[in-house]
Amino acid sequence: MGDKKLVGHAYNVDFLNVVFAVSSIFLFICTVWMVWDDYDREWKNYQRRFVQLEMEVTRASLAQAEADVDQEKLQALENELSAEEEKLAASQNQVTELEDKLSAVNNDLYRANQDYQFAKATYDVDRYAYEVRTNEDDSIGEQESAVIAEALEHVNQLNLAIEKVTADRDVLQDEIGALTGRGDDIRSQIRSLNGEKIRLEDRIAVLQPRLINDLVLNAPLLDFLAPTIRVQQVITPTVVDDLNFTRVVKMDRCMTCHLSIDREGYEDYPQPFKTHPNLDVYIGSASPHPMKEIGCTVCHEGMGQSITFRDASHTPFDSHWLHDREETERWEGEHEWKEPHLWDYPMLPSQMTEASCAKCHDAQVYVPKADKLNLAYGLYERAGCYACHKSEGFDGLRKPGPSLTKIDSKLTREWVANWVREPSSIKPSTWMPRVWYNENSSSSEDGPRNEAEIHATVSYLFANSEPHEFKVPSPPAGDVTRGEALVANIGCLACHVVDETSRFEAGPRRTFGQPLQNIGSKTTYEWFYNWVRDPEHYSADTYMPNMRLTGREAADIATYLSSMTGSSGEVAKASYEEQDIDNVLLDYLKTVMPTEEALETVDGMDLETKTLELGRRAITRYGCYSCHEINGFENVQPIGIELSEEGSKLLSQLDFQFVHIPHTKTAWFSQKILEPRSFDRNRVLVPMDRLRMPNYGFSEEETELFVTAIMSFQRKVQRPEAMPPGSARLDALVAGQNLTRRRNCVACHEIDGDGGDYRTLLDDPSLAPPLLTPQGAKVKPEWMYSFFHNVIPIRPWLDVRMPSFSLDDAHWNEAIRYFQAVSNVVGPFKMKEVFRAADARGGAELFKLLQCQRCHVLDKIPEGQPTANLAPDLRMTPERLQPDWILDWLILPLAIQPGTRMPGYWPDFPETYYEHLDGDAKAQILAIRNYLMTFRGGPSPVEGTRIGIYVPPVTSSDD
Amino acid sequence: MEPIKDFFNLLADPRIFFLLTVALLVVIIWKREVFVSNSVAYGTFAFLGAFFLLGSFDENFRLIVGKSDNVPIVGLIFLLIFFTWYSLRQAVHNDRRIAAGKPPIEKEEEDRVWVWPDLVYTELIAIILCSIVLIVWSIGLEAPLEQPANRSVTPNPSKAPWYFLGLQEMLVYFDPWLAGVVLPSLIVVGLMAIPYIDTNPKGNGYYTFNERKVEITIFIFGFVALWSSLIVLGTFLRGPNWNFFGPFEYWDIHKLEALTNVNLSEYVWVRAFNAGLPSNWFVREIFGIILTVVYLAVLPVVLARWGLSFYFQKLGAVRYCVAVGLFLMMLALPVKMLLRWIFNLKYIVAIPEFFFNI
Repeated sequence: MGDKKLVGHAYNVDFLNVVFAVSSIFLFICTVWMVWDDYDREWKNYQRRFVQLEMEVTRASLAQAEADVDQEKLQALENELSAEEEKLAASQNQVTELEDKLSAVNNDLYRANQDYQFAKATYDVDRYAYEVRTNEDDSIGEQESAVIAEALEHVNQLNLAIEKVTADRDVLQDEIGALTGRGDDIRSQIRSLNGEKIRLEDRIAVLQPRLINDLVLNAPLLDFLAPTIRVQQVITPTVVDDLNFTRVVKMDRCMTCHLSIDREGYEDYPQPFKTHPNLDVYIGSASPHPMKEIGCTVCHEGMGQSITFRDASHTPFDSHWLHDREETERWEGEHEWKEPHLWDYPMLPSQMTEASCAKCHDAQVYVPKADKLNLAYGLYERAGCYACHKSEGFDGLRKPGPSLTKIDSKLTREWVANWVREPSSIKPSTWMPRVWYNENSSSSEDGPRNEAEIHATVSYLFANSEPHEFKVPSPPAGDVTRGEALVANIGCLACHVVDETSRFEAGPRRTFGQPLQNIGSKTTYEWFYNWVRDPEHYSADTYMPNMRLTGREAADIATYLSSMTGSSGEVAKASYEEQDIDNVLLDYLKTVMPTEEALETVDGMDLETKTLELGRRAITRYGCYSCHEINGFENVQPIGIELSEEGSKLLSQLDFQFVHIPHTKTAWFSQKILEPRSFDRNRVLVPMDRLRMPNYGFSEEETELFVTAIMSFQRKVQRPEAMPPGSARLDALVAGQNLTRRRNCVACHEIDGDGGDYRTLLDDPSLAPPLLTPQGAKVKPEWMYSFFHNVIPIRPWLDVRMPSFSLDDAHWNEAIRYFQAVSNVVGPFKMKEVFRAADARGGAELFKLLQCQRCHVLDKIPEGQPTANLAPDLRMTPERLQPDWILDWLILPLAIQPGTRMPGYWPDFPETYYEHLDGDAKAQILAIRNYLMTFRGGPSPVEGTRIGIYVPPVTSSDD
Repeated sequence: MEPIKDFFNLLADPRIFFLLTVALLVVIIWKREVFVSNSVAYGTFAFLGAFFLLGSFDENFRLIVGKSDNVPIVGLIFLLIFFTWYSLRQAVHNDRRIAAGKPPIEKEEEDRVWVWPDLVYTELIAIILCSIVLIVWSIGLEAPLEQPANRSVTPNPSKAPWYFLGLQEMLVYFDPWLAGVVLPSLIVVGLMAIPYIDTNPKGNGYYTFNERKVEITIFIFGFVALWSSLIVLGTFLRGPNWNFFGPFEYWDIHKLEALTNVNLSEYVWVRAFNAGLPSNWFVREIFGIILTVVYLAVLPVVLARWGLSFYFQKLGAVRYCVAVGLFLMMLALPVKMLLRWIFNLKYIVAIPEFFFNI
């Protein structure tokens, strides 16, 4: 070290003072800024605004409540009260004296109580100590026990003192009550009359702006104590969030801003204050989905813990590109909204929320009240998505397209080629998608390739077609007009479209069967005739039921169908040569063998072999066999990826390539469905690497529904205790709902509030197929079973007819159990008792009086009645109907079947208008019922099935 | 604007970026007299400031520079340059004084000051200023939160914490055990040890360059070029799939780079000798092993005679060997980088039988 130097200054202290002062001021400003930044939250402003809103709504309710108060009654009570008060004034001295006494006694009581509590507490401590000591040491003397006993005695004495003072007080209170009781009584009556009004006034008092709220309770830094503005939340007991490494119960804070989501009266206010729609189904405390248990985000998705608009992952209505981005732009302006990234599952766009129903109501194709989801599932099934893409809940279904194993006997090669080139050019409402000539296969070089593949595919189908022998080889000719009337009336239109109705308009139920547009140019008269007469003869597993047509009816319908000629599809758009077939086949072979070997293979084949080989490979590549039965493809796996958990897929797993759309899952799915091959856009790909999903030509409405269906395919996250409790009834309902939708029963019949679409096609709805909601309670299971197997006309005057379906017993039992589950009955067996009581005393007379036979058939159809009024043959009653149900039906038919023409003869049950049986309504109804039970000999489906012999559906006899 | 952006994108290619950094360091040290002038500092900062400001008009640039995680690295660039410049400036000033026979500036200053106010007061002011910066920062920039972690989804790109990004860059060229364990340890140890292996007492307590040329050059190379500049590169220029992206380029997950690399043994046996690879690993890798031994054992000896003889004489055999060994290990990284870029060389020695690849 050098010389010691003097101690000096490194800095100018005056300057440091200035720096210190300035930086301190800045620090102070920053601290204030920090506090304010932390304090200023958008949800607080919503709560402040809501106070005003609530005030508004409460004031309106208050005005209503005031108007609702019974003024006369109130006035009377008030008059009585003032009279009573005058009376009381006379004895005022007496009351005052008593009240003074009471206050003194109350004082005594307070003191006695406190003495007792002190003594009791001390005694308890001593007693415990004594118990411990005796337990540890046997030699505890009697002296100590005596001390404890004495203490207990002291406590008891004190308790006695309390009881005595209490008795004194009660006496005094009674004395005062005798004088003032009546007045108090009236006051409480007035209060209860004004109950709602008082409640609302109290609420308004709470809501009044108060300085203490703003300056103290909600002030920055003080608002941790008892703020009136605070975060609201629901912690769900069973519903969980999946955080990948663990599952935690949901903590939804949505109601911090959506303050009136579960309160009625805010329906017309803007978000976030709007009331949730359908409070009786969702959110409401009495609904099946109460907010306290279900929360919000299990249905809506999004980040429930977050209390900012953006981080909660709100998703605009237009987050996929099917709509104008109006809402998105508005949100970007108002809420600084951005594509959410903090949560893997942002909210579903509002129109797709029903997708979440499937999280708990899984494996159901029909969820009550979820209309969009049900429609979406209907379309999903009709389009046959499940055939290529395995989808849970849609397994084990029939292939959606018609069988092609006997194609040679039905179609011509030319027609098939024209059809596959552009199916919608022949049938605008068809579900058959376009496989060739799509976005990535429409260039001029692709023309010959497409044509070669189409030619080869068609050749393969025809080369592998089985021979088919028609039951009636050259059927007689029919009449077009009669045929048209039959198709229009017997019920064909429930499943088939004949006119230009669009696919979306017709919906999944009316497109259950092939559209019949331009069908005349498709196949031969002979085929039509044989098909409509007995579909199963051509295709054993078809869903087309047997309509029990007579030979003549079949001929009429076949003639009509043959007459519906029109467009026969798109002719070839390019020509191909043998060289093209070679090249295309080579491309296929090169993916499975070395190039040299592929070349040799192709060289070693003649033209036909090459064509068939190419056809086989093209069918494999495009997955035609997924939808159609094709010989040679019996055990091949479908080509699409599984979609069972597609809705839970993470955004990062979807590849947007060069398609410029918003980066959201719904946008990707929309794009894929609307333009399936567009992700190949601007890419350089060899043909075998190109996308191959066919184009269905979906409309935007359809696309949105398909995306809803896909978003409903979710990973199973929720625990069983969060699910609806299982029961045999629920199982029966679900199985039946699936069956009746999958077999399109609901196209004709309304069941449990859904279906019966056929009615809309009729001028007179009373001529429609019957409502089946009460079926389980109404009809006996054994009769139903027989009827299914052996359909008989119940109302022969109807044109529309119940077809004969060839379901197996398991399915028929499913249907019967379903009807019983809908009615919540398991068919009570009580015929014997009823028959024993069937003395039908007075029944016959009443039957005549009420003129049952004016509408009901009894062997012969009543004359002079419009068809709409006619009712089934009563001779079927004992065999067909449940005796108990008849009683309910007679009392109030409209309650069971809204719109029925059956009059209610006991509208004011148990009052009655008839003198019979001593004017006892119950006895009268019983008598009629018992009388009905005596009928015999009506048409019966039971013949045959009763003795265990299965009678196949009648396939008509030639007339 | 586009050509300028393309130009910067091109400059940011890791090869050019790295070579330019090294070249710039050489020029700075060589022309340090010019570098330490104020106008160079003003010019540099004006250029950098303009670059970041104007660049921010580009959306891609703004996205990557403005990301909450990356903002500190922008600060790092400015601070790194400033302190390098400042230390060199002080060193050059002192060197001039020493050359003129005067003591360094630091020796002239009083070496004793009051605790109050000189120490405590300034510390207090520093605390206040830091608090201000942290408060404003935390209000202004959102915390870089992401969605809940998911074991089946790795972020792309997966980046190490910023201080390890230099190491992650090394993973491109070496096996994990080398890039993650051996080389970083030796580089860190080297950076710390090399200045002390030299027993030269000069330069103690004051800035100087001339009196400790080798040590300072090695340190600046190790710290600025190998450590810090690779952090900058890893932060701003490595995108999805660890592909390189220019500062104005869109981070397209589909971008592809041609990465076909070949081992030395394949070059020698297949290309040069036109023979198949020997089945015995030792025979197969013999050339790589010889090369490595030459690099680590023969090269120091050769350098002791030619090139670094002054250093050898100054330090003596043991100190020289340790210092050069450490330096060569540090240098292994740029050497391997160059080999990869020029020859597409994958490994010099590749013995997958023992998971041993260099």
